[in-house]
This record gives sequence, C-alpha cells and structure tokens, in this order.
Amino acid sequence: MSTSTPGEGSAGAVTRPARRRNPRIDQWKRTWYFLRRNTLALVGLGILVFFLLVAIYALTQSVPWDHLTTYCATNQGNGGIDQCLPGQLSICTYAQGTTPPHAGCYQTPQAYPSVVPPTLSLSPLAAGPLPLGSLTVLPGGLLFFSIYDGLLRGIDWTLLVSITIVAGGALAGLLLGSVSGYFGGLVDEVIMRLVDIMLSIPQLLLVIMVVSVVSANNVTLFGLDPTSSKVLLLIISFMITWWPFYTRIVRGQVLVVREQKFVEAARASGAKKGRIILRHIVPNSVYPVFIQISLDVGTVPLLIAALVFLGFRLFPTFYFPEWGTVAALSVQQLPAFLTGCQVGVCVLPAWQLFVPGLALFLYAISVNFFADGIRDALDPRLRR
Amino acid sequence: MKMSLYIIRRLILLVPIIIGVMTITFVLVSALPINDRLIAAYGAPSPRASWIYDPVLSPGTGPCPGPPNTHTCPNPIYNRDVAALGLNQPIPVQWGIYLYRSFTFQWGAVSNYSSAGLLIPSIHGLPVTTVLSWYLPYTIELAVLSLVIILLISIPLGNLAAVNRNRPVDQGARVMSFSGFALPGFLLASLVLVAVVIGVGSNSGYLAHTPWCQSGEPLWNELTGSWPLSSCFGGTGGATSFPSWIHNNGIYTTPTGFPTVDALIAGNYWVALDSVIRMILPALVIAFGTIAILLRFVRNSMLEVMNLDFVRTARSEGIPESTVIKRHAGRNSLNVTITVMGLLFAFFIGGFPIIEDVFGLNGVGLILAYSVQNTVGPVDFALVFGTTLLFTFIVVIANIIVDVLYAYLDPRVRLG
Repeated sequence: MSTSTPGEGSAGAVTRPARRRNPRIDQWKRTWYFLRRNTLALVGLGILVFFLLVAIYALTQSVPWDHLTTYCATNQGNGGIDQCLPGQLSICTYAQGTTPPHAGCYQTPQAYPSVVPPTLSLSPLAAGPLPLGSLTVLPGGLLFFSIYDGLLRGIDWTLLVSITIVAGGALAGLLLGSVSGYFGGLVDEVIMRLVDIMLSIPQLLLVIMVVSVVSANNVTLFGLDPTSSKVLLLIISFMITWWPFYTRIVRGQVLVVREQKFVEAARASGAKKGRIILRHIVPNSVYPVFIQISLDVGTVPLLIAALVFLGFRLFPTFYFPEWGTVAALSVQQLPAFLTGCQVGVCVLPAWQLFVPGLALFLYAISVNFFADGIRDALDPRLRR
Repeated sequence: MKMSLYIIRRLILLVPIIIGVMTITFVLVSALPINDRLIAAYGAPSPRASWIYDPVLSPGTGPCPGPPNTHTCPNPIYNRDVAALGLNQPIPVQWGIYLYRSFTFQWGAVSNYSSAGLLIPSIHGLPVTTVLSWYLPYTIELAVLSLVIILLISIPLGNLAAVNRNRPVDQGARVMSFSGFALPGFLLASLVLVAVVIGVGSNSGYLAHTPWCQSGEPLWNELTGSWPLSSCFGGTGGATSFPSWIHNNGIYTTPTGFPTVDALIAGNYWVALDSVIRMILPALVIAFGTIAILLRFVRNSMLEVMNLDFVRTARSEGIPESTVIKRHAGRNSLNVTITVMGLLFAFFIGGFPIIEDVFGLNGVGLILAYSVQNTVGPVDFALVFGTTLLFTFIVVIANIIVDVLYAYLDPRVRLG
C-alpha cells in the first residue's frame, strides 16, 4: 500500500513506500488488551479517572489556590467566645444542653465546645456554612476548615506534586542507572555505593532531614512568589530522596539489555556511546521504571501525610489544600475526641476523622491496582 | 570460609557504609545557616544569653566592654565555638571534624527551643546521645516484638496463599498486601485505637478495669503510653515520661533501660506483663505494612520452590503433602524471605515514628516526632539528625544480621 501526501509547494504528489508500522504501538495495543481483562486494574483506572475529572472541575472554581476555606466558631452558647478575624467566615456553635442562640447553629459536645459534629448536608448553604463536616485545628483558637473544600481542591495538588516528584526522581534514576550500568567500573561503583547508602536511610527520615534543611534556608527560586517558590523547593527536596531506588532498578535492567545482540550490532556499526544509551538501552529498560512510577505516585501523598502528622509543617501555608495534609490534620484530632470519652462525652465524628484518610487510601490503592495491572500486562512471565 | 571469618568481613565492610551515611548528613548539615549549626552542636542559648551566637557584639553585651567604649568587639565565645567545629576551615577539614565528632558520639545538644521539651521538661541542653540512649531500649523491644509478629504471620500465610493459589485465601492475601501499601500508618493506628476504645470501652464505661488498674482509670489513657498511670499498681505506677519507671527515692533508675527486663529484675511481674501488653497493638500495626509486602515475596518464592524437581521427587516418594510443604518447600523458600526482610528493614523502621507518636510510646521515634515539629518552635536539627543516624545504624546492623543468617541458611554464600 502506498500513501500519497498532498504536496505543499512541491510540484506534485510524491509517492512513498509504506512506512513500517511502529512496533511500540503494537506493544501498547497489546498492553491495553491485557489490561482490559484485569478487573481490579480497570477499577483502579476508573477511580483515577474520576479523581482526574474532579481535579479538572476544581480547577474551574475560582478560589484561592493556597488556602483551605476556613471558618471560625462564634461560640455564643458557651460564654460568647468570638475570635473571628475580619473577613473570616463564621459558624455558630452552642454547647450541648444549652439553648441554641438562633436557628442554624451547631450543637457541640459539652467538654469540647470547639468540636462540631459531622453534617451530611451536601450544600454549603443548607444548615449553615459548613459543608461535609469540619474540625478544629488550632488548640486554643476555634478555627475550622472545610473537609469538602480540602478534598475537592486537594486532588489537584496531590496529583501535581506526586507526579512531578516521581517523574523527576525517575528521570534522574534513569540517567544515573543507565550510565552506571553501561559504563561499569569506577563510575558504577561510586554511584551504586551512594545508592546503597541512601537506601539504608529510612525514606521518611531522609525526607525529614532534606526538607527541614531546605526549609531552614529562605531561598526564592527563579523570582517566583514565596508560596510557589516554597512548593517548588519542596518538590525538589523530595526528588533528592527519590532517585536511588530508580537507579538500582534501571542499572539491573541495563546490565541485562547491554549484553543483547542488538546493542552489540549497534556498537559494531559504529554508533556512539550516547546514542547507544539513549536509543537502544534506555527504551528497552524502561518498563520496570513505568511500573515503579505508577506504584510511587501513590506513595508520595502518604509520605507527605506522615510528615504533616508528625507535626512538620511542609507547605507554606498552614491550611494547604493537599490530601496528605488534610488527612493528617483530620486524624491528628483523634486524641481530643478520645480524651472526651474519659469524661463521659464519647462523640466520634467518624466522617471528620476518617473520610480524608480514606480518600487518601482510595487514591493510593487504586494507583496500586492500576500498577499491578500494568505489570501483569507488560511482563509476560507474570501473566496469569 | 568459617562463619566467624565471614562475620568479621561483614563487620569491616560496615565502616565505609557508616562513613557514607555520616557524609550525607554532613552535606545536609553544611547546608544549614551557621547559627543553626552552632545551636545543633551546643544547644540554643537561654534567652538571656542569646548574644553568644552573634559574631560581633555591640558594646555592653556579654564580655564586650560597655560605654564609654563605643566600639563593637568580636565575640570570643562565638569564635571559640566556630573554631571548635572547624566552621572557619576548608570543607574537607570540616568533614573530618564532623566524622570525628560523630564517631566519638558528640552528636550535639538538644536545643532550648526544641519541642521535645514538651516530652521531658528538663531535656534542653542535654547531649543528644544521652537522650537517645534513654529511648533506644524501648524501640529495640518494640522492634523485636514486631519482627516476631511479622515472621509468625507472613511465613505461614504466604505458604498458605501459595498452596491455595488463586483460591479465596490467596485473593484475601492479595487484597491485604495491596492495603498494606496504601493505608497510611497513622490512619491504621487510629482506626485500631478507636475500635478498641469503642469496642472495649463502651462495656466498661470507657474506664480501664485491669488486674493492676482497678481504680478505673480512663481507658484511653491506659491504652496509650509506655507506662501505666500513677494510680495503678496500688499507686506505684507511672513515670510518665522517663526511660524506665522504676522509682527509687525520687531518682529514676534503669538497670538495663529495657522496660520489661527492668520490671522483671525488680521482681514486678505484673508490670512486665503490662509493658508487653502495651506493645502488642502498636507492634501489630507496625507489622502490618511489612507483612503486606513480605507476603507477596513469600508466596512467589514458595510457588517457585514447589515447582522444583526435588519437591516432585519428595511427592513421588509418597511423603505426606503437609510434610513436603513444611520440610522440603518451606525451608527452601526461607532464604528469599530473609533476604527480602533485609531489604524491607529500612521501610519497617521508617514506620516507627508515626506509630510511637500515635500510641505515645517512649521510643526513639517519639523523640523524632517531637523534634521535627515546626509549628510551635523551630526544628531541633541535632535531635533530627541524631535520630536519623541511629535509625540508619539499626538498619545497617540489621542488614548484617540478615546476611549472616542467610549465610547460615545457605552455605554456598559462605563458600563463594
């Protein structure tokens, strides 16, 4: 079969022989064929697509990008505490057993007047300005943030931050791993010892060290505004901790690929080293990296959540809409609720405590399902 | 090669790794502002003497002669500290000094602004190594207990999943291993706590009724923390924050530092039991993530071994299936399990800060959880780096133990 392309500026139609079909397209088609058969992977993909749609929806809302919507409680029924800053949205609360000041106020447990029980009203305007449950964050101050808001806008940041971090780490790992595997010798020795050392430090602790050191220096990058600059610094410092694992994977793969006939053929036909690495070795050792990327994209928000939970304020503003942050800040309130149990007021707003965490879990597990499906589809030995 | 020779060789190889880890922390420390480095090394000054970290003094502060002399003067204490750390010298010299200080356990002092003061009020200014040595034994006990749990659960379950391949047991193990990846540690820990408080608590009115706490303490307080409340044990319980709770005329004494061992030495068997019981829930939660990953490897290695010839031979000889699985296949798949456990150890140890924070256990992770807090005061770099070094040493030493175990199980490694 021959195709004729309409000539632009050339005299007439040029006839060319048919191009050979790209074998990589076949590979993707085959992958998709096997992926389609894997129910769990499809479920994971479906959830991820849903999250992506939510992220796109959230982008269309015009809201401040670096702040969760916060509310402060005007505690009229309980001594009249009113700490609202000018311009802050306020919600009305009253203690259990007292009479509500007016309609639309939230009843709170006696011992913990700052805790608002969960509400299922989907509309922010139905029972007051408190969508989908909320919680106190600052001890001493009565300040609430909206979980609905955090989850809606957090998915943007979660996807952006985790994909950027993992992609950056994978790119560095791909480069160092292929250089190390291809050249061997002293280069290999130096890089791999560094990888060994980095991998023997638990990742959470490495991240804590790097991030705390980086945020001790007030640096602004590329003349960005302070907030974006700090987010970028955060991403970079996570990347620093992320490359060693990829380097090890890629090196292992390169050691296998390097010995194969087509690399030998390329070398025999006089290809330069850079070309051999970039055109022959990297494309053929990249599949395990894809699998690891898809696994790690689920891990990043978990790590961020762990850090925030320990009390390290990662993001530049306290109420940063990111899923890990929202989940950690929510679960951090658990002792306050459980301490309530010892004075006889045992209120556990499960919605407030666990929905953000479960959203995080859902994200991570669907990423894992999808990654597992990809692995099965790409690796014929594992196919069941 | 003899086993002892093998161990010695492994121990010698330990030195470059430790130097490497210290070099990485050195690079990170060097990136800190100079004041933070001084504070990490010597602890922060009390507010009264904050001038000791100013390079140049204005007249009247500290040793600088005041008016009528209006000249500023160089700060002798600042210069002494900078010189002691070698901060005015080339980078390689600084590196050497850092290594020397690290190897001689001069890991710095707890900053005066450290949030770890919420844990122990008198902690400020103490050497980091002293503080860590109080908390290390608890972490070791917890780690040993969770390792036992990990091996006790993952090996039989993995074998079961392999034997019942693609049956419900296998699928269940699969789901568990996925959730282990995806469930945040703090969420799991909190869920477990809530489940216990609600499940047990609602029957007892949220009060603890244990043989040693008949006074009816709040259950939530009795479930968390390393030690029983002070009203328990007839009023002798409860050193709430200190390394060992054995109380001797107002001085806390620790024969070994290990809570269970200390209690046994003191002949207090109920206390020993109590401290073990307190560790079981956190150990289970810590174990969960590692079990989830290990399970897949145990299952796959078991599947591989069960396809080998010697297993078929064993079967053809009419040996009962259970014996084949236990004796022939199980023992040979153990190598992979141990290797993977060595690789997973960093991941396993990384779970400690979170869990110790949630359960309020006096381990090294709790110290880390307090020292990284930057919402109240600045991060305590000395403690953060010290904890990281300590955890990394634990990982490295555990890896050596794994290697030695592997060599013991598979003689080919020693000979090769």
